[in-house]
Amino acid sequence: MSGPELLLDSSIRMWVVLPIVFITFFVGVIRHYVTQLLHSDKKIDLEQVSDSQVLLRSRILRENGKYIPRQSFAMRKHYFNNAETGFFKKVKRKVIPKNPMTDHSMLTDMMKGNLTNVLPMIVIGGWINWAFSGFVITKVPFPLTLRFKPMLQRGIDLLTLDASWVSSASWYFLNVFGLRSMYSLILGQDNAADQSRLMQEQMTGAAVAMPPDPNKAFKSEWEALEIVDHKWALENVEEELMSRDLNFGTFFSQDRTCTMF
Amino acid sequence: MASVSEMYDVGWEEMRDKLRKWREDNFRNSEQIVDVGEELISEHGSKLGDDIWIIYEQVMIAALDCSRDDLALTCLQELRKQFPDSHRVKRLSGMRLEALERYDEANKHYDAILQEDPTNTAARKRKISILKAQGKSTEAIRELNEYLEQFVGDQEAWHELSELYINEHDYGKAAFCLEELMMTNPHNHLYCEQYAEVKYTQGGLENLELSRKYFAQALRLNNRNMRALFGLYMSASHIAASPKVSAKVKKDNMKYASWAASQINRAYKSLKRFVKHLCVTNAINYIHFSNRI
Repeated sequence: MSGPELLLDSSIRMWVVLPIVFITFFVGVIRHYVTQLLHSDKKIDLEQVSDSQVLLRSRILRENGKYIPRQSFAMRKHYFNNAETGFFKKVKRKVIPKNPMTDHSMLTDMMKGNLTNVLPMIVIGGWINWAFSGFVITKVPFPLTLRFKPMLQRGIDLLTLDASWVSSASWYFLNVFGLRSMYSLILGQDNAADQSRLMQEQMTGAAVAMPPDPNKAFKSEWEALEIVDHKWALENVEEELMSRDLNFGTFFSQDRTCTMF
Repeated sequence: MASVSEMYDVGWEEMRDKLRKWREDNFRNSEQIVDVGEELISEHGSKLGDDIWIIYEQVMIAALDCSRDDLALTCLQELRKQFPDSHRVKRLSGMRLEALERYDEANKHYDAILQEDPTNTAARKRKISILKAQGKSTEAIRELNEYLEQFVGDQEAWHELSELYINEHDYGKAAFCLEELMMTNPHNHLYCEQYAEVKYTQGGLENLELSRKYFAQALRLNNRNMRALFGLYMSASHIAASPKVSAKVKKDNMKYASWAASQINRAYKSLKRFVKHLCVTNAINYIHFSNRI
């Protein structure tokens, strides 16, 4: 049931909508800088570096193997994929599952993440709810069902009011997610103010820099290498070369200066 | 002795940009770097800001090349003052010890760095170059192999290993290293050409065919590679002259060889024309110049 169109006071726009946008934006920027200050360097393990380079080499073999002779390609494929002695078959890395409770560095990282991201959101959200309560801010452009009313219309107990009219708290949350692209514009990619990315990480499990299981990476690389065939790029190279003309006209150029500047 | 800025009429910004270009393109023109860099540091040091530290590093390495120990020491001391605990600076002081041929002290230096940071590649590579400088090529090869087992992606190291193997006349292993380089840089004509030369030196019919193919590939990647053109001619004529080939292979290779020879002739003709043109223009300039005096 759609109620009559409400006409909102324009001072709402000036004193509520815009300030909330600015507050969200600046809090995000401050969050980014605070995260950078509290950031601690990750210690790199020699084995991890070595493993990542081996995986890179195998990938290069798959992609550019066609530039080396067939025999050499077969030699390398055998080195990686052989059933008994192949690298991907033989090497098993001991994977210690990183338990967040016992691993000290992960614990501090989690705490820091919580502090800088969740806490300001709760604080600011609550303050906005308290400061800007009792009136509607704006109307969302799509119709909503009645179930959304208690969530989006905090502090307004009108039964007949359309659920599309929302209060300031929901405008705040809309801003938090909407300003993501603004952050990447101003702070560059990969910034710490990007809240939704953090939430995604928390949902998929522990966010660690290296793939937590090198064995899985080895297995997938083994499979990929198995199916690759060697198609030599140099089969007809002489014919291709001789069909073109080597232009010697511009071979020697006038302005070859041997001085420094 | 006129200063660089006077001789070439350049300002300090151009000198700094030139140094940066040399740094980014990895040039090894140490005498020029020392001339330009020394003047830049002494006259315009304050204007450089934070750039000065990387220029210190660049000039120091160039000074070690030209055995300007005084300049190297001043640069090193400035860097040590600014970055007292840096591994990068410690590596530079190790390099200075190497230049003074105090190899044992340099080795101790690098071992200390590796103690603190086992993943530091620069220190390990310096230790290998000490072995090379002392002429112990077998140990250098062994250490380099161990290094490459852990850091498979280091292209500089693969190239160095291929050079060491060529010096030891172990062409099969040198070819392996060059194959790694060709895979990671498929469009670099120089690696193709070097690989072809190694295969040609190894000899034997299949290797000659491979070398001919790779010379052709190098030419395809860069039309102006004269070495590859000569190589193509040599390998093709070698195969054609071999008694064990079939008639068809002989005919094909003679076709390739004659094509290569005609291209070489064309190149030299255009060179003759260019040299004539150059002499004429120089003569005209000289006449003008002497008329003006």
